[in-house]
Amino acid sequence: MKTCKDIKNSLPLYLDDSLSDTDKKAVEEHIKTCPQCTKTLSELSKTETMVNSLSDVNPPPWLKYRIMARVREEAEKKRFVQKWFYPLQVKIPVQIFATICIAVLVVYIYRSGEERMKEVVPSSVPAPVMEVQKSKLPEEKLRSSADKAIQKEEQLIEKKEMRRESIPAAAVDAAKDVKQQFDSDKKTDRYESAPAAESVTLPAPALEKKKEVDTLGAAMKAGSASRTQGSMIKSKVLLRVADLNTAADEVEKLLIKYEAQNISRHTTQGKTILSAQLKNQKIKDFMVRLKTIGQIEEGNIPPDNTEENIPLTIEILK
Amino acid sequence: MFLMSNIIKAATGDEDLKYVILCQKGETDAFEVLVERHQKKMLNIAFRMMGDYDEACDVTQEAFVSAYKSIRKFKAEAKFSTWLYRIVVNSSKNRLKQLNVLAKREGISIDDTEEKRKEAILSQSFINNSNPGTQMETREREAHVQKCITSLDEEYREVLVLRDIQGFSYEEIRDILKIPDGTVKSRLSRARNTLKDCLTKVIGDL
Repeated sequence: MKTCKDIKNSLPLYLDDSLSDTDKKAVEEHIKTCPQCTKTLSELSKTETMVNSLSDVNPPPWLKYRIMARVREEAEKKRFVQKWFYPLQVKIPVQIFATICIAVLVVYIYRSGEERMKEVVPSSVPAPVMEVQKSKLPEEKLRSSADKAIQKEEQLIEKKEMRRESIPAAAVDAAKDVKQQFDSDKKTDRYESAPAAESVTLPAPALEKKKEVDTLGAAMKAGSASRTQGSMIKSKVLLRVADLNTAADEVEKLLIKYEAQNISRHTTQGKTILSAQLKNQKIKDFMVRLKTIGQIEEGNIPPDNTEENIPLTIEILK
Repeated sequence: MFLMSNIIKAATGDEDLKYVILCQKGETDAFEVLVERHQKKMLNIAFRMMGDYDEACDVTQEAFVSAYKSIRKFKAEAKFSTWLYRIVVNSSKNRLKQLNVLAKREGISIDDTEEKRKEAILSQSFINNSNPGTQMETREREAHVQKCITSLDEEYREVLVLRDIQGFSYEEIRDILKIPDGTVKSRLSRARNTLKDCLTKVIGDL
């Protein structure tokens, strides 16, 4: 026998005959002896009747039209989307066209951006440009001053040679004068006049100033780039030999052999100075031959690409 | 195999199917037939779920538009009407949630004048055209019943509305709500008991 609590949940379903036979029998047996559950069943029945009798509401006439208006709106949207994106024969060309457009746009933006960068960078980031200018400036100064110095050297050598021709004995004094003059130049132009002055140092102080000559060589090398034409380069060679006169003769012969021009020979105390103008192309070979005569202690050779005659001074010492 | 037989079974017994297929092919006018056929049932489900006629009209409209938007997804695994009623039940529940949130946020309740206006609209929509005295009594009683229905939890309300008001079978309810038979029965039992208690309180001795 089931209790009222057990029956409570079966009663609502008993009314519409949706209980199993077992449950149905249990309910029927229970309500025979339980007036409370019989009353509950009656109330449930009345409730069901009330609910079942609820009137239906009618839809307003406008509801259908409003629904259909919305539906047609949606259909239009759908059609538009389908027209452009659903059929493949339209979809694929549209996608390709869109891709090309995007690619062109990207390239255009990239290029215009690059131009803008070019415009903007110099004004906004001037430092690197300034640095470049700074780094160029000394070089230019170096070149111009080196050229100046070379021109001066040239002039002085010409002067020197003239003096040597007229007063050979006074060559050393004259050279000293020149040196003094260049020393003063050195003071005014600290950059490059010093090496230029050294380059005209005459035989006597030459050995003492060997270090300075090395610096000259370095400076000459630095300036060599600008002197591609090499018009005013002067070379000086210090040759140490066993027999001064024989060696001087041999060197003179060698100069003649290499078609040197304006060969002049001066003999002073313990040394012979040979001056000549030699074609630059032949200087290298000349120097090689010179080494067979004696020991070259110092000398600077101009670059190969100069075609003009180079004034050459060979000091032959014992 | 089982699925196919279900589809064939549903398709053969579904008079709506040919209109649904037309709609799927882009024939918008075919949808009008479906609206015509089901709008009343849809509206009544919504009305009993919502307890408000205007809201029920809005929910019905939204449910039909949703159905049209996703009509291509309808695979005829069940009857179209079952699919449609599921949409309206879900739309009603969603709208009720929105209204609850709004009511909590704004702290407002429907005032008396608004309620009277709605009752007036409702009275016009009732079919009953008997004498005014009886009509008044019926309306009053129905209002009480509706209040008790609206007081039920949504899960009990939907079962009661579909079974006791709309008269759907247990099978149909199971398909509409996608819940097992046992759950339908237990919920219905609970819903009826609660409704009976509510009406006893409101009306007195039944």
